[in-house]
Amino acid sequence: MADTGMTLRAVAIAIPWLAAILTAVGRRQVRAIGFTAALVSAAASALLLRAAPPRESLDETLMVLFSCLALGAMLVIPRRDCTFGTISGMLFILGSTLLAYSTQNLLVLLAAWILTTVPFLAARLFGARTWRPRVGLLLSSVALAAATGLIAANGQSMSIARLKGQSPGGMAVLGCLVLAVIFRKGICPAHAWVADAADSGPAIPTALLLNGHFGAMLVAKLIVPLFPHAAHDLFPMLSYLALATALYVAIRALTENSPRRLLAFLALSQSACILAGLESRTTEGVTGALVHWFVVTVSTMGLFGIVRLLEVRFGENLTASRHLGLAEHAPRLAVYFVIFGLALVGLPGTLSFCSQDLLIHGTLASHPQTGLLLPLATAMNAVSVFRLFTRLFLGKRRTGFTVMADALPRERWILAAGVLFVVLGGLFPNAIVALQSAEAETVEQAIAPPIPSPQP
Amino acid sequence: VDFSQATLVYVVAAPGVVFAVFGLLWLLGWVPRELLLSRVTGVMFSASVLGLAAILWRLASTGSRAVEVTFGNWFAVHDYRFPLVLMADRLSLPFLAITVVLSGLIGQFSATYLHRERGFFRFFLLLHLFAFGSLLAFAAASFDLLVAGWELVGITSVLLIAFFQQRTPPVENGLRVFAVYRGCDIGLLVAVFAMHHWAGKASFASGLPVLTGMQPMIVCLLLLLAAAGKAAQVPFSGWLPRAMEGPTPSSAIFYGAISIHAGAYLLLRVQPLLAQSLLASALVIVIGLLTAVQGTIAGRASADAKTSLAYASLTQVGVVFVEIGIGWKWIAVAHVVGHAMVRTLQFLRAPSMLHDYHKMHSAAGGDLSPTGKHLEDLFPQRMQLWLYRWALDRCHLDTILDRYAIHPLMRLSRLFARLDGMGKAALSLQDSAGQEAD
Repeated sequence: MADTGMTLRAVAIAIPWLAAILTAVGRRQVRAIGFTAALVSAAASALLLRAAPPRESLDETLMVLFSCLALGAMLVIPRRDCTFGTISGMLFILGSTLLAYSTQNLLVLLAAWILTTVPFLAARLFGARTWRPRVGLLLSSVALAAATGLIAANGQSMSIARLKGQSPGGMAVLGCLVLAVIFRKGICPAHAWVADAADSGPAIPTALLLNGHFGAMLVAKLIVPLFPHAAHDLFPMLSYLALATALYVAIRALTENSPRRLLAFLALSQSACILAGLESRTTEGVTGALVHWFVVTVSTMGLFGIVRLLEVRFGENLTASRHLGLAEHAPRLAVYFVIFGLALVGLPGTLSFCSQDLLIHGTLASHPQTGLLLPLATAMNAVSVFRLFTRLFLGKRRTGFTVMADALPRERWILAAGVLFVVLGGLFPNAIVALQSAEAETVEQAIAPPIPSPQP
Repeated sequence: VDFSQATLVYVVAAPGVVFAVFGLLWLLGWVPRELLLSRVTGVMFSASVLGLAAILWRLASTGSRAVEVTFGNWFAVHDYRFPLVLMADRLSLPFLAITVVLSGLIGQFSATYLHRERGFFRFFLLLHLFAFGSLLAFAAASFDLLVAGWELVGITSVLLIAFFQQRTPPVENGLRVFAVYRGCDIGLLVAVFAMHHWAGKASFASGLPVLTGMQPMIVCLLLLLAAAGKAAQVPFSGWLPRAMEGPTPSSAIFYGAISIHAGAYLLLRVQPLLAQSLLASALVIVIGLLTAVQGTIAGRASADAKTSLAYASLTQVGVVFVEIGIGWKWIAVAHVVGHAMVRTLQFLRAPSMLHDYHKMHSAAGGDLSPTGKHLEDLFPQRMQLWLYRWALDRCHLDTILDRYAIHPLMRLSRLFARLDGMGKAALSLQDSAGQEAD
């Protein structure tokens, strides 16, 4: 059984890497190669999830989610971007992210963490034109490397399972890990690199990088199990930081006119909500955070994908400073956009309604005063996403386009799959919520003592 | 599940199913004919009216207080439960009835009114989503579920305000209304949390959550914020005239009938809690009175028919709030039902108002004396002028909201943008220096 699991893990991780090399040979079929590799990866991850024990399947669940996300990205990416460099880079990120999710070894985790950033450091691949993304990613890697180095210097094991509950390296290591989370996740004041990366880098690969949610993963996988007692003392501070980030970025987004930056701010604000939920120390909050992880991942990928499709069709100078009226040309893209956008901020009937409900209950229960920031931030995000929708899609019809502008069948089907996920997940949330609730109880039990949930 | 329970499920779910099926098929490339859509709408709402009549008959004949359908928990985590329970009781039945009757009527009216309009299909989809949201809110047996319907009503309302999407003002007004709704809905979300936190439940199927001390007041004030936002009460009344940019049938059903009364429904639902808090009750009365006065004054200075009707609507809803604050629950319900019916008719006749006036004028033999100036005559000339100026700017409510809430927030946002831009500016200098060196 263990061998089968190992083989499946190897397949899920190695196939995308091999395919990334293969794209150099078959440059004409890069999309087909990328799609096949992501499909194999998703299938292997799904088999792993099926075999995983119920309360210990967070890694496998995240592997399925991310490989499906990469699969969707391979389909939605416009032909103009479908080059050897882009597809191989995305496959490289896929393999590295799955490695980070699946490993139980600190050194491997560090290697995977660094590998996911490599395409964004190389100017020829996804390197942003600005310095902040490079610095943000580098600093997060340095912080994690320092934590790993300190643990190794103390002569302790590199196995995460063996380090559980031992607080290896004490506050110094914990501090480094928290710094790694802050830089990678884009927590204030280290938030600006995310918007820069989205604005000046390639949209879809950047969304893939952000949706790895490595900061949240580090909290769930490393900080909570390794430092349960210290985490208990430190968590309120991290939670305040996350809530402050959610609100700060939500306010910042209100006057942002670049669609990509605005989406990055929304993604950042909602991701900060995930962190706030993880740190709420209530089962509701942690479950809400884990479910919201799914929602943010699918919705932001959909939104970034649609914005990129619009850029390819209508030019790269899209702006939210005036009404562009693109719904007349691309009505289906408009509908997909509004569904993904509102799904991100708690539209009833979507999965985020449940996740936001749990998040609000969890954070308010643990931090009654600061928890109020969460619904406030979500309300502002809703206004921003609706503003972006109205500016891009509504208003006077633009003339002079001769292209077929609306979603192509390939794009239509994959975007419909994303919409169905968030909507069906919202209509029948119990399967996802129950699965994540079991995981949340494991996470919550690792932190002692838990805050009692309100009694009925 | 007995017949009345199955009927209740059908009544609530049917518009949602129609919306989902037509919407999904359209997303995948299919466009239905107008006739099919209007027929489906007519048949579906007619069946819903019959279904509600059957429920009413069942309740009357058996003497039961309510029909309840329990689906268990929508989701549950630890001790927290989101109960999925629908209920039709004496309070919700009138609201369910006006929703299905008026939605069906508006559907039939719009099939002609919006014939060959480019947004015909969009309008009908949103009408179904709105009906689903309203029915869910009115048939919910818990505040958790009520929030879901409440939010759906809000988003459909906004999308219909921006229905004529080629023009900028409706789109911008839609955004403004959305912002007000979302801001006020925070009150509802926090109130639901507070009920869970203090009473362990937010369900009202077997009575309202038991709250003690200051708790009822806090919950009622939070709910009042949400209700005032949805019902366009002072100080949020500024969005109502903006909402008149939508097509007339949607204005009729939203701001003449159902959406505008959703706030009143929420307060009626928590009336026993409201009665426990003198402050909250007094505030409901004061807000209602202020809104009624503001509505009647601003309405008199409105130049277009729909805005005048909107303000007339606002005045009546203000009076309904006063009735709720005083504790006249059933008078308020009767007032809501009567007002919704009359106002919908007036809104639907608004496009032919001049024609109607001319007919009345001729019928009266050319001697139709002006009415509605009784209030003005009570005031001295100077005060009349002052009130006129006040009414022209719609009692300055939008200006106050802009000055004290929106503009400071925007300034803060721009300040944050400047802070973020500092690093970027440093980089641009660095880049340009590098390019020059190259």
